[in-house]
Amino acid sequence: MNATSQPKQPLAVFASFWNHRTLILNLARRDVVGRYSGSMLGLLWSFFNPLLMLGVYTFVFGLVFKTRWNPGGSDNMLEFAVVLFSGLLVFGIFSENINRAPGLMLQNPGFIKRVVFPLEGLPWVVMCSSLFHAAISLVVLAAVMLVVMGSLPATWPLILVVLLPLLLFVIGFSWALAALGVYLRDLQQTINIVTAVLMFMSPIFYPASAVPKEFRWAIDWNPMTFFVEQARQVLVWGHPPDFAGLAGMTVGGFVVAWLGLAFFQHARDGFADVI
Amino acid sequence: MSSDLAVRAEGIAKSFRLFNHPRDRLKQIFAGSRRKYYQEFWALNDVSFEVARGETVGIIGRNGSGKSTLLQIVCGTLKPSAGHVETHGRIAAMLELGAGFSPEFSGRENIFLNGYIVGLTQQQIEARYEAICAFADIGDFIEQPIKTYSTGMAVRLAFAVMAHVDADILVIDEALAVGDARFVQKCMRFLREFKERGTLLFVSHDTTAVANLCDRVVWLDGGRLKASGPAKQVCDMYLENLFESVQGASRGAAPAAAPAAALTSAAPSRDQRLDILQASPYRNDVEIFEFHREAASFGRRGARILDVRFEHPHGERLAWAVGGETVVVAIDIEALEPLASPIVGFLVRDRLGQNVFGDNTYLTSQASPLALAEGDSASARFEFDLPLLPPGDYSIAVAVADGRQDDHVQHEWIHDALTFRVETSSVRHSLVGLPMRAIRFERVAGAAAATRTPGLADTTR
Repeated sequence: MNATSQPKQPLAVFASFWNHRTLILNLARRDVVGRYSGSMLGLLWSFFNPLLMLGVYTFVFGLVFKTRWNPGGSDNMLEFAVVLFSGLLVFGIFSENINRAPGLMLQNPGFIKRVVFPLEGLPWVVMCSSLFHAAISLVVLAAVMLVVMGSLPATWPLILVVLLPLLLFVIGFSWALAALGVYLRDLQQTINIVTAVLMFMSPIFYPASAVPKEFRWAIDWNPMTFFVEQARQVLVWGHPPDFAGLAGMTVGGFVVAWLGLAFFQHARDGFADVI
Repeated sequence: MSSDLAVRAEGIAKSFRLFNHPRDRLKQIFAGSRRKYYQEFWALNDVSFEVARGETVGIIGRNGSGKSTLLQIVCGTLKPSAGHVETHGRIAAMLELGAGFSPEFSGRENIFLNGYIVGLTQQQIEARYEAICAFADIGDFIEQPIKTYSTGMAVRLAFAVMAHVDADILVIDEALAVGDARFVQKCMRFLREFKERGTLLFVSHDTTAVANLCDRVVWLDGGRLKASGPAKQVCDMYLENLFESVQGASRGAAPAAAPAAALTSAAPSRDQRLDILQASPYRNDVEIFEFHREAASFGRRGARILDVRFEHPHGERLAWAVGGETVVVAIDIEALEPLASPIVGFLVRDRLGQNVFGDNTYLTSQASPLALAEGDSASARFEFDLPLLPPGDYSIAVAVADGRQDDHVQHEWIHDALTFRVETSSVRHSLVGLPMRAIRFERVAGAAAATRTPGLADTTR
């Protein structure tokens, strides 16, 4: 009845995490560990997964297709894999959160009907879990780049600046989708298709420059294009990111998060009646 | 507003909106009051009450009277449609079975999860962990996912958690209905102890438990506050009302039973012994429900059973009895065709359908059968000392036949003509307990040193 009842205040976005951080972090840990529960390697899988994927990309695109990101660029067969991997890593944060959001409330009826639960914390749980996996992927990526190329671009730490606005956008949409998912059960199916389309409509598997001029709008319109490209700037190419653009995105992301939370808190009154 | 209040509910109303489709509900949220996409059902209407800090308040009412809805609103899991609730202090609730458990999580994880939900820190939960496990007493299951638990185990764990979160206000909704007798006793002990320091809101339709535990009772009827006041007084009113309405209902439902109604409409038995109900926790209280004429029955229908009741030997109808005292089971019948040698009998069965005891009029009337002409009425009265029964629900099957013990025509047999519930009992491990004349347990002079047999009991009947 305290901070949760004042979604009108912009700071509620952060309070929603901070007030229940112990609960959220514990649920997130359960989410991460639970994914591999029963398997013998357990948490090690979250290391092997990205490592194996990176190996497969290198083999398929570097050795078999001999794909090069920039025609006439370097001849390193690992390059394409690293570019692809960094793009997927960023997109993965987006898709994991967005795909799971519509079902979040439906999967936890006990939290809605039987206890007074900080429901607005559930999207944060998924966020923390997805960030954990992203962090592991980043470690794997860094290790491989260090071994193969001998050094990391100095711009690496700036990935945090790139991810911040992305997180705000994603959590905002997660709140909105989590609330809508209660009322519109079809949302779950729809959203999986939407994220799949968005993945192919962002320059993850190909450089934006490879897209014909008349279709460039479709790529530019996709907000993930910006984040994928900025992440690559700092992780792969060693260029400074578009600070002005990121600042704008941070403000925009904050507004989205705030509206998403406000919407969620408005719609939650009806949850117990529906579920 | 006063800090002496734990709960203040003012003008609470809750309407459930019945939508035809989930998306209509979403439309409604945005349409506000401009359009109605739903039909309304009022579960609660203008309910106001206050609970002072440290008070124990029971909420009683029939099924569907809004008890659970009211509790959910007090706990904050449901929003009232009108009115508002103020609560002061940490609330721990047991609404429905299993509380806020996540089925995929282990018992241990759920303990922590529930602790975090009510706002305990990890250290605080760790400090209580052992005590919670000991209270729940479910052994190694604590490491298994909750989905593998039986209902009883889940309730034990839920109750154990709730008992250890240092709540200021406990809200308990019919939680003790499951769970074995030993655990229920443990819970009752805890609740009695908790009463001394905290505020308790207790819902049940078991008026015995409510009258036993609560200082004050709120009675809900059809979503409205019917009465509120001292526990005993309100429980009495409630029982009386229940009693009358059941009789009224059976009269209305079976027009064919009109002549019978005239017989049974004798003043409802007000049980004076309710007044001394609170005495001992082990007293064998037996709550007797009304004759259920519509219960499943069979037979040739050459006779009908008009009424079945418990009576005091002096003749008043009983709604309450105590194991060990003398009671009468009275069965009124009417012959619909001439009966040469009718036999009337009854059989008491426990909830598993085991025949506990019973008897019939055959031997008594063997020598001189009570022949009945068409339209004649008769009454059979079995007077006996009610045995001590283990807690649970019992039913009495009654029958009227014509003929002999081993060769007769069954005219009407009603399976569960009358049910009664034994609330508390000292009998645990046997089908029945007999009222003992005397039990002695004493040292045999001089023999103790010689035999070294400890505690030889000398039981005299």
